Formats: sequence, C-alpha cells, structure tokens
Amino acid sequence: MRAPSVRSIALVALGAALLLVGSWWGLVKAPGEVFMGDVQRIMYVHVPTAWNAMLALTFAFVCALFFLLTNAWQWDDRLEAAMEMGVVLSLLLCMQGSIWAKPTWGVWWDWDPRLTTTAVMVFAFGGILALRAFVDDPVKRAVWSSVACIVAFVDVPIVYFSVKWWNSLHQAQSTPQTVSSAFHWPLRINAFGTLFLWVGLVGLRAQVAALRRRGEMAPPLPEKRKAAGRAPVTGGAL
Amino acid sequence: MKALFVAFRKDLLLQWRGKTQAVAIFAFGAATLLLFSFAIGPDSSALRQHAAGFLWLGLLLASTLSLAESFEREMEEQALEGLLLLPACARTLYYGKAMANWAQLALLGMALVPVMIVLYDAGTLRLLSLLAVILLGTAGLSAPGTLHAAMTSQTRARQTLLPLLLFPLVVPVLLAAVKATSLVILGDPMEQFGPWITLLGAFAVVHWSLGGLLFGRVVED
Amino acid sequence: MSGVIEGGWEFVVAAYAVSAAVLGAYAASVLLRFRGERARADDESERMPSR
Repeated sequence: MRAPSVRSIALVALGAALLLVGSWWGLVKAPGEVFMGDVQRIMYVHVPTAWNAMLALTFAFVCALFFLLTNAWQWDDRLEAAMEMGVVLSLLLCMQGSIWAKPTWGVWWDWDPRLTTTAVMVFAFGGILALRAFVDDPVKRAVWSSVACIVAFVDVPIVYFSVKWWNSLHQAQSTPQTVSSAFHWPLRINAFGTLFLWVGLVGLRAQVAALRRRGEMAPPLPEKRKAAGRAPVTGGAL
Repeated sequence: MKALFVAFRKDLLLQWRGKTQAVAIFAFGAATLLLFSFAIGPDSSALRQHAAGFLWLGLLLASTLSLAESFEREMEEQALEGLLLLPACARTLYYGKAMANWAQLALLGMALVPVMIVLYDAGTLRLLSLLAVILLGTAGLSAPGTLHAAMTSQTRARQTLLPLLLFPLVVPVLLAAVKATSLVILGDPMEQFGPWITLLGAFAVVHWSLGGLLFGRVVED
Repeated sequence: MSGVIEGGWEFVVAAYAVSAAVLGAYAASVLLRFRGERARADDESERMPSR
C-alpha cells in the first residue's frame, strides 16, 4: 500500500510511450487528408480522447453500481479515480474540439452534439466531484456519489439525443466520421496509448483515495512529540 | 398506495403552511424574467422570440430554491430520521415528496406565464398545450431535483451544490421545454410539438423510476 | 462544405501541446498527491501507540 502499484506505473509508462509513437506517426508519417489538409491530424489525438473519455466514465458507472451492490470500499476509491479521470479527459476533449473547430468551421464552438454532450458531462461529473468534497462522512460520500454517478450516466444518452435533435434544426454540418485506412495505425496506437495511460493513472489515483480514506477513518492519534529535549511520551495503551 | 397519498398530503400541507415562501419564490421568478428583458433590451420582437427560453430559465432558477426548501424542514429536529422510522418505505416518501414538489413547480410555472405574456408580448391561445409543456417539464425537474435535494440538504455547501448537480442533468428538459413552448407561442407550421413533448415524457419516466430506485440508499443511515 | 484548408499547423501543434500538457499535469498531480498521502500515512503510523 505504501508503494505505488508497479502495474499502474508500468501502464502509465507504456501508455505514454505508445502515445509518443502514435503522435509522431500521425504528425510526420501519415499523409495529409484531401479536404482538411494537415488540420485533420488533430483527429489522431481527438478521436482516441473521445473513446477513452467515454470508457473512463463508463467504468465510473460500473464502479458506482458495484459499490452500491457490494459496499466494498475499493469500488468507491476506483469511482473517485475514474470520475476524476473522466472529467479530465472530457475537458481535454472539449479543448481539442474547440481547437479543431476554429480552422474548420471558423468558430470556437459549433454546438456539435457530441462535443456539447461532453461539455454537459464535464459539469455533471465535475459537480459530483464537488459533492464529494463537501461531504465529511465517508459512507454517505460513497453512497451519494455512486447514486449521483448512476443518474448522471443514465442521463448522458438523453442529453446527447436531445442536443442532436435541437441542433439538427439549426445546422446541417457534422464532424466527419469516416477515417480511411491510411490513417488507422496512428489512431489505433494512440487509442491504446491513451487507454493504458488512463487505466494506469486510475490505479494510482485509487491508491491515493484509499490512503486518504484510511487516514480519515483511523482513530485519533496522540499529539506529535515535542521538540528534542523534552521527555518523549511513554508508550502505553491510550 | 395509501401511504403514498399520506406522504403526498403531508408535503402539500407543509407547503401550504409555508406559502409565504412560495410567494417569495414566485417573486424571485418574476424578478428574473424582468432582469432577462433588461439583458436583452427593449426590443419587442427579440423578447418575443426568446420568451420561452426566459420562462424556463426563470423557472429553473426558482426551482432550486423550492426544491432545497422542501428538505429544510426535514433537517430541523432530525425529522428525516423520524420519517424513516415510520412503516412507509423510503420509496413512498420519495414519490410523495416528488409529487408535492412537482405540484409546487407546476403552479409556479403557471403563475409565471402571465408575467411572460405581459413582459415579452408572448401571448398564445393554445393554453392546453402550454399547460402540457409546463406539467411535463416540471415533472422532469422535480424527480432528479428531489433526489439531489435530499443529498445536498445534508451537506455544508447546500445552496451551491444543488444547482451545480441538477442543471447539467436537466439540460434535456430545458431544451425540449423551451422548444415546445416556443412552438406554442410563435407557431408550429411543421408540427414539431409532439416529438418534443414525447422527449419530455420519456425524460420524466426515466428519472421518476431511477429516483424511486435510488432514494432509499440516499437517506439510509 | 467545400474547399481545402490550407496550412493550419499552428492548430495541430496547439491540439497536441494541450493534450500533452493536460495529461502530463494530471499525471504529475496524481503522483504528487500519492507522495503527500504516503508521507501523511507514514507520519501517522509513527505516531501510533506502540503495539
């Protein structure tokens, strides 16, 4: 428990390495796309981030379910880690989407249903992280964030559908979906790179949550020893 | 079923006793509608275009006050624990409270409609359609609102947390209700009203079910 | 949508840089928090009354 899990560190390192390879491939080796030219290269980070943001939040949902079913603390630790990771990835996704939108559509935000839903998700799950910060009782904190996570996750498809429909009445543009085969490799490498990276980070972050929680639930301790020179507190039952 | 009626009646009674609060919440809602018009400017056509949006934003903001207040009383003198000791299960308590909150929000919505009509010149004859939107929209606000109010009312930052948690969740309600209300006020040549109402209905069904399932865990000790 | 987008490399670089920065900063924050929690846990285990 004292040492960071070796497996997590290895996953983070592997993920980072894959991302370096995939990004170099996408930036340097892959050809430019017909219509979008070099701007299309943003897809090599944007699409993997999209997939993994959704995966991380889905994992958070699974952790929430498992916590409510088993009441085992590990699931709450993982829930905290997964939600935080999901929010970070979703926030990154919004930033990447914005950087993509400017040269492509001329505006920083174009109300694309997927990106708009992602923005809503940042607020929804970020809000649950805020809730955690204001609840002192660890049991209530765990139960409530699991409940809130389940409600938020179930809501995501409804949000997506409603924004899609709301937006379709205003504009016909959509972000291009298809990626031709020349571009598969950098995409796949980066997708796995991001996957390993976030799984490793969630593992470490869950350890942090576990350490913090144990500290919270531990019984109160005697005062710190005074400066050298005074007699130390004699050991003995409290 | 009888327990549900009792729970519902209890919360309605509490709301009736605290009706000065309800009037104050209405005043808050009406004030926000006024402020929106200051934000846009005295442009009658622009105000009319966006009247539906202002109505629902005002209602959404006021709902956080009304929802938070519905659990304030339970917090005093640990009334919540007392309630949970009763034979009625937590689910019944949830639905009773959610229904009472729904009633209060629907009344608030209906009360704000004349304000909207006057300030934004947004009158309509299709009052039944408007009523349907208000009923379904407030149902969508009440279910997740009651669930989250139960949680946040027991925390330290309750006033900030409830809107923070609720607003992202009810984005579909806002979109659909504003769209549907807009169609009622401005005209609906392509008959889009039905699908938006269906979306509101589906949202309400999902969240009323989910709330009933999860409320027990939220208030357990 | 027609036409070809010329250049735009600064946006590509921005996107990759932002991604690296965000992920790197988050990873760093997790590691720092881990060290902090471990230090606190070690400190508390020192203060625990001897068994």
